[in-house]
Amino acid sequence: MTDMVRTGFRPSRIAIYGVLLLACLVYLIPLIVMLITSFKTPMDIRSGNLLAMPTDWTTIGWTKAWSEACTGVQCEGVKGYFWNSFKMTVPAVMISTLLGAFNGYVLSKWKFKGSDLLFGMLLFGCFVPFQVVLLPMAATLGKLGMANTTAGLVLVHVIYGVAFTTLFFRNYYVAIPDALVKAARLDGAGFFTIFFRILLPMSTPIFMVSLIWQFTQIWNDFLFGVVFASGDSQPITVALNNLVNTSTGVKEYNVDMAAAMIAALPTLVVYIVAGKYFIRGLTAGSVKG
Amino acid sequence: MEHTQRRPAGVARASSGLMDGLQRWLPKLVVAPTFLLVGIGIYGYMLWTGVLSFTNSSFLPSYNFVGLEQYAKLMESERWIVASWNLAIFGGLFIGICLLIGVVLAIFLDQRIRQEGAIRTIYLYPMALSMIVTGTVWRWILNPRLGLEKLMHDWGWTSFSFDWLVNSDFAIYTIVMAAVWQASGFVMALFLAGLRGVDSSIIRAARVDGASLPVIYWKIILPSLRPVFFSSVMVLAHIAIKSFDLVMAMTAGGPGYSTDLPAVFMYAHTFTRGQMGLGSASAMLMLGAILALLVPYLYSELREKRHD
Amino acid sequence: MSQLELRDIRKTYPGALDETLKGINIDIASGEFLTLVGPSGCGKSTLMNSIAGLESITGGSIVVEGKDISTMEPKDRDIAMVFQSYALYPTMSVRENIAFGLKIRGMPKDEIQQEVERVADLLQISALLDKKPARLSGGQQQRVAMGRALARRPKIYLFDEPLSNLDAKLRVEMRTEIKKLHQRLKTTIVYVTHDQIEAMTLADRIAVLKDGELQQLGTPKEVYDTPENLFVAGFMGSPSMSFINVTVEQAGPGLVVNIEGSDGRKLALPVPDYLQGWAGKQVVLGIRPEHISQPDEQKRDSQMVAESRFTVEVTEPTGPDILAVIRLNNVDVQCRLDAEHPVNWGEEAELMFDMRKVVFFDPDSEKRIRP
Repeated sequence: MTDMVRTGFRPSRIAIYGVLLLACLVYLIPLIVMLITSFKTPMDIRSGNLLAMPTDWTTIGWTKAWSEACTGVQCEGVKGYFWNSFKMTVPAVMISTLLGAFNGYVLSKWKFKGSDLLFGMLLFGCFVPFQVVLLPMAATLGKLGMANTTAGLVLVHVIYGVAFTTLFFRNYYVAIPDALVKAARLDGAGFFTIFFRILLPMSTPIFMVSLIWQFTQIWNDFLFGVVFASGDSQPITVALNNLVNTSTGVKEYNVDMAAAMIAALPTLVVYIVAGKYFIRGLTAGSVKG
Repeated sequence: MEHTQRRPAGVARASSGLMDGLQRWLPKLVVAPTFLLVGIGIYGYMLWTGVLSFTNSSFLPSYNFVGLEQYAKLMESERWIVASWNLAIFGGLFIGICLLIGVVLAIFLDQRIRQEGAIRTIYLYPMALSMIVTGTVWRWILNPRLGLEKLMHDWGWTSFSFDWLVNSDFAIYTIVMAAVWQASGFVMALFLAGLRGVDSSIIRAARVDGASLPVIYWKIILPSLRPVFFSSVMVLAHIAIKSFDLVMAMTAGGPGYSTDLPAVFMYAHTFTRGQMGLGSASAMLMLGAILALLVPYLYSELREKRHD
Repeated sequence: MSQLELRDIRKTYPGALDETLKGINIDIASGEFLTLVGPSGCGKSTLMNSIAGLESITGGSIVVEGKDISTMEPKDRDIAMVFQSYALYPTMSVRENIAFGLKIRGMPKDEIQQEVERVADLLQISALLDKKPARLSGGQQQRVAMGRALARRPKIYLFDEPLSNLDAKLRVEMRTEIKKLHQRLKTTIVYVTHDQIEAMTLADRIAVLKDGELQQLGTPKEVYDTPENLFVAGFMGSPSMSFINVTVEQAGPGLVVNIEGSDGRKLALPVPDYLQGWAGKQVVLGIRPEHISQPDEQKRDSQMVAESRFTVEVTEPTGPDILAVIRLNNVDVQCRLDAEHPVNWGEEAELMFDMRKVVFFDPDSEKRIRP
């Protein structure tokens, strides 16, 4: 698809660049607004406008968001919830990715009667609106004594994430020739040896995709957080929403924006560092899903 | 003969019946936990919710079956009707605008653009954000007094007025804006990947035949991206039907219930208003909506694969 | 003593209506090179995988050195396989690839080292030992794949179309290499290919498969000269045998069949006496290109030749000779002409039919009529 347009300064080319740059601006402005506002004083916010630079750069919004702002009844900032999100995300990402890797391995290289059915079940599971499982899940977590705990959230994210991770790994392993597994079997390798010695060393890209996809999904989740967690165990997204919607006192938009930045930073960093894998995950999860 | 028979010493022949038996069961054993988790966590619970939707459960699940009463109530509920209409408006606009923007940006980006990688990164970063973050920012940008309106006033357009966020007739469109901002870059990425996969010899052939660039795109390239188009619609529709976070962060369904979506309705009735039966019925209808989209899609996908 | 016996091997895939393998019986002697040849879908790869234990069979038994291995795991069968795609482990170096099977079987390190070096020497890949497969050429990868099989010193080697991913020139080179290796090591080899030239050149014996049934089992010469049926006759040989429908007629003391060229010119070809019972009946005459050529003085003495002029429809120079097509009894028939005496298409050429090696088939059963 290259060599379609002869390069050179033709009007159409200038128009194309114009549209592309305008779009860049549109996509960037909310981030810029968020950043500028977070460094303003409340006074500044009232006197200036969205895109006006702060007259006094201050980090008061950030410190307040981190450790003082009210998220409902408590006024301890979002720091606790930020760590909650980590405590929930890291194990859930690890477990769901590991399970997905093994499942994908079996569903592509060790098919058995019924394995296609399982795959179909998982595929469909990627599309189910979570609203149909919320209530029974809440009841189950209650029975298990895991309601309002980080462990409960980890479990939930593993269950509803494993369909995606399995899909990633299955599609990746399907593309690896079966002959490799056959050769290894003739060489005397068993189920786990083949996985750990042959396939795993080839799986770095798809592990990255799965880890990043799951990290973004789980970190950004709000629905499960708001339904299955309360008070101390809530993740950052729920805390942010509470903070923004807390109506006591004067609205401090700089604090709101700083809190939003805090909630956004981990996934943004991941996106900037490993965007290649993020895009691959998005396309793999949708085109093939 | 010499070659085959001189077996080196020390080569042990591992051959234990027990181990082989275990090996044969290993694949099934390994997927068993997932099978169990997904079987219960998705399919079992789906059924459970289905059962609850036929009961008059309120604050706690009960098993007094009332037939289709909850569904009938839902159909009569003005709030549900508003939520459904909102989904239609939101979904239609969201999908339509995202596709339009995504396709245009993808085609433009495919013209050997300098700094393409950087531009792509900028278009796509909103997808990495939580919808709560997106909602928080847009809520601030669209703030009726201090947001966009003040910016325009400062820039000299003093008559500019923009209060959609708090206007119950227009608030749903602000949700569309934020959602399009978040997801259109993703559609762009899908189409760009699709464009890169188009066989360039077809394009060269069309150029030899004398077709102009716009004609080539319109008649040859875009039609060949039909699968990308369908999967984009699937994903966007899926986001639309499930979108809950964005509404909660921007309007929490308000003003009144003018920006309710089925997902918000379901959450409110099930978890805050103590009408589990009604909430379950609404969840089942959401599932039905997804199925109505998904079944034809999967059917055509599978059929295509069989034709390969 | 036979090294590998296939006894009535049957295989039906779950859910399939037809059997993929319909009772295959083959005995393979120790040190024998057997090629399995047939068109795609004939079941040769299934048979190969069944021998290796990568697929289970639904009937019959596989016996190695008198021991039934039909239900054994692949790793316990002591069989090595070379794959069409080579199936080299991409993350391991050549050395690790060759050593992998030995390591798993618990061979001591120094012995592995020795074995890897022996094999590398044998295949002239010593210089490549520390490279990753992706950095090797197709031919080198092929050698490594063979090395991996050789290192285990198994009882039987299976080759699954090992040369079909190589370009034409390399394929011929590797073919010779494999043949040399076999002659040197005297290993038992079962070699699957769809390339009948490969089958002919390599094999001690050829097994021709079609639709899951063994069509013929014999030496390359047997299969080429006396094909059991029309399928084998048409499949083996390139360019392939031409088939002409003819009627056997009594002519004096002998038998003849009449053929007619595109210009209406007729020629009576002498046929052997064993067709006596077919006098007055239709048979299919199978004749290979090399049996129709420019007249050869030495052959003229024979009773079993005939000559006439025919119009050449198409000529295809191959270098050493020219393949020409003439029309006989309304079918295209290929002849192999001397390149030194070129003929152009549309011209007439004097052609001699050497009937000593032609074969005849029963048009109904498609089986060869035996002397």
